[in-house]
Amino acid sequence: MRFTIKQATSGSERIGTFTGFIKSPGAVIETPTSALFTQGGSVTHITSEVLSKIFTTPKLLWVPLSNSYQLETGLKAQGQGIAKFAGLSGHVTSITPHSASEVTPVGHFEHGKVPLWTKNGKKMITADSYMDLMEVFQPDIILAIADSRTSLGEGYKRILKSVDRTCGFLEKCVDRYKGSKTLQTSSLIGVIVAAGVPSKCDECITHILKYKDSLGGVALAGLTDGTEESLKLVNDKIEGIFARVNTKLPKNLLRIVEGCWNPAVVLSAIENGFDVFDGSYPLKLSNVGHALALNFDLNQNDSEPCILDLNDERYKEDFRPVLAGCECLACKKHTRAYIRHLLNTREMLSSVLLSIHNLHHFDQFFKHARHHIASNTFKLYKQHITKQYEAYKQPLTNGVNEHKGKTALPQVTKKLKVSDEEMHCS
Amino acid sequence: PKALLFHLNAECNTTRARAGIMKLPHYDVKTPVFMPVGTQGTMKGLLPDQLESLDCEIILGNTYHLGNRPGTEVLRKAGGLHNFMGWNRALLTDSGGFQMVSLLKLAEITEEGVKFRSPYDDSEIMLTPEKSIEIQNCIGADIIMQLDDVVQTTFQDYDRIKEATERTSRWLDRCLSAHNRPLEQSIFPIVQGLLDKELREKSARDHLTKDVNGFAIGGLSGGEAKDDFWPMVRLGTGILDKNKPRYLMGVGLAIDLVVCVALGIDMFDCVFPTRTARFGCALVPKGQLNLKQKQYQTDLNPIDENCPCSTCKTYTRAYLHSIVTVETVACHLISIHNIAYQMQLMRSMRENIENQTFPQFVQEFVNAYYPDANYPDWVINSLSSVGINIVKP
Ligand SMILES: [Zn+2]
Ligand SMILES: [Zn+2]
Repeated sequence: MRFTIKQATSGSERIGTFTGFIKSPGAVIETPTSALFTQGGSVTHITSEVLSKIFTTPKLLWVPLSNSYQLETGLKAQGQGIAKFAGLSGHVTSITPHSASEVTPVGHFEHGKVPLWTKNGKKMITADSYMDLMEVFQPDIILAIADSRTSLGEGYKRILKSVDRTCGFLEKCVDRYKGSKTLQTSSLIGVIVAAGVPSKCDECITHILKYKDSLGGVALAGLTDGTEESLKLVNDKIEGIFARVNTKLPKNLLRIVEGCWNPAVVLSAIENGFDVFDGSYPLKLSNVGHALALNFDLNQNDSEPCILDLNDERYKEDFRPVLAGCECLACKKHTRAYIRHLLNTREMLSSVLLSIHNLHHFDQFFKHARHHIASNTFKLYKQHITKQYEAYKQPLTNGVNEHKGKTALPQVTKKLKVSDEEMHCS
Repeated sequence: PKALLFHLNAECNTTRARAGIMKLPHYDVKTPVFMPVGTQGTMKGLLPDQLESLDCEIILGNTYHLGNRPGTEVLRKAGGLHNFMGWNRALLTDSGGFQMVSLLKLAEITEEGVKFRSPYDDSEIMLTPEKSIEIQNCIGADIIMQLDDVVQTTFQDYDRIKEATERTSRWLDRCLSAHNRPLEQSIFPIVQGLLDKELREKSARDHLTKDVNGFAIGGLSGGEAKDDFWPMVRLGTGILDKNKPRYLMGVGLAIDLVVCVALGIDMFDCVFPTRTARFGCALVPKGQLNLKQKQYQTDLNPIDENCPCSTCKTYTRAYLHSIVTVETVACHLISIHNIAYQMQLMRSMRENIENQTFPQFVQEFVNAYYPDANYPDWVINSLSSVGINIVKP
């Protein structure tokens, strides 16, 4: 894998490309970008057929091992890696141990192991067993295993452990990586933890940089344990954290941020030179019936909220598309009223249509960011978007807070609904 | 213009099977046809575009559910269900009666209509034949169903069955005179009479005298023995007008489709293919695969190697095994395959009827469906009643 910075501005934001993937040679991923979040190897709610209707070029897929662990046996039998097995050949895959936006039980740690919360319960994972799995999953990008399930409010002792364990894991991962022909067709990413404790965070970064030559980049984790409380803690401090970490990292390294970040936070990360996001944000919106509707036109100040809660009764007879002018499949054919009806009746198509729109729109959000970096107008774009997001977050004058505060990613998927009428057939 | 024009392209020289075209306001539907059920104005997570690529030409909506949510107001403002759900091909709605009687324990049937408590706000609601047609006029499906007096198929009380059958005829008249859009929508009467030969015959003959564009056979597929089921279908198709389409309600198992096409049925609906998909069941020529079973964990074949659907082209049984009943995507993928299977089966039947090879097709189908050659008596008897004598290979 090759990461090339195409253009940087006077600030730290930059546009770049990811190329040279051994498994999907033709793929070019432009950064800054968001990956597509997957569950069980599939983009959540979206089959490969529908995905090809949303995006015509290869995309970066974000594959948490915690929700795809059960694929191991099948993958072994097939021997061709996760992208092919999940019907997504040609796309670029990136594996991480957990989903940073998923709340998991507080697990016991054992020496050299972290708990992985899978569909079949808890598995204790070592660096070795993790890299064994990577030989089977064969992703394009491997995030080294880390002890990153910490929040900014974590006690110092826990943070010490987290850095220790993470550094130990990286050593082993690099060893395994260097010693395996299969693994070398992937890129290994070092994971930064302890973001809330500057001295420990620096220690972690220094340690990672020792292995710089073996690494394809770094990922910033350990900012949130997925809970609402931890996300609230982060939001005030996050810009400062991005800025600090920015100064500690060499410019040419690819930088990933894990977690479910809103557009305003994403733009501060981009401003501080971060390149890749994990894609859990649009999924979070889709899962609770929200549609992202940012106005990208700097010359136009829109009064509509930048996030629509389509569960709301007010859309019952609203026969407009989710977002006027949106080129996505959902907006071209369907209305707010229809999606509201699907949410109201808990029909699966609601998640599909919302995902189609949110994935497309989130992708456009990054496309515009790249465009503004290229034309040196990124600051204005950031202001324009941040203003919309702040306005959305503000309580309305009538005292109703529009933002429902559903910040954590709902667990897995909504229960598949079996309609009551379905006894119709023998 | 008529709301329905039915043209027979071919009739089987041996059986009662026929292949034709049913021209509806929104689409020309090739028969025999299977109609997947999209209860609430959506087909289990599939996009209308996907249904079109699967060759679905007509799908079902449920009046009872749609009348409640989104409700007639919204549907009227949207310009009907076609617009509301973004489906440009043909639609059929049921009358709502079946749902009420089967779902709502408190339903009370009188000459006026079906009285029940709303499960949404507990208010008392009366669904009359007029009301049912009013809602269906609003939904705007190409084919709509009369409200019928529904009695459970295995019910034994002759007087009640007789009352229900005769009431169904009276309600048909009320439905027909309440119908406001006869140029855009066709009401199908429903032949009732449960398992009673004489009542069924009378019901069918009553309906024959009405000015309608097609007929339905109802009150079957409700748990009765197969030996009781097929003679009632055969009785119906023997009486009903050959030049109008015949719709057998609630039937969709592959073997039932093949037998009933041979008996002269043109249209079917059933929730089974999409419902069973949710539980990881995929339809194949020899019946079903339960993809949850451990034996598929490392099976790198598609569900059916001869199936041209997008699921079979892209995914293995092993992958599906690892996500069934966990991820919504699995449900979409198996639904796609199962609908493709039903569509492929109907297409084969149409082609074989047109080529006068239908009896051979039936023999081959039965051989594949029962690989151990244990053909049930009802299959042998029903097929032999229309001239196909199944032989063991
Ligand atoms: Zn859209
Ligand atoms: Zn298939």
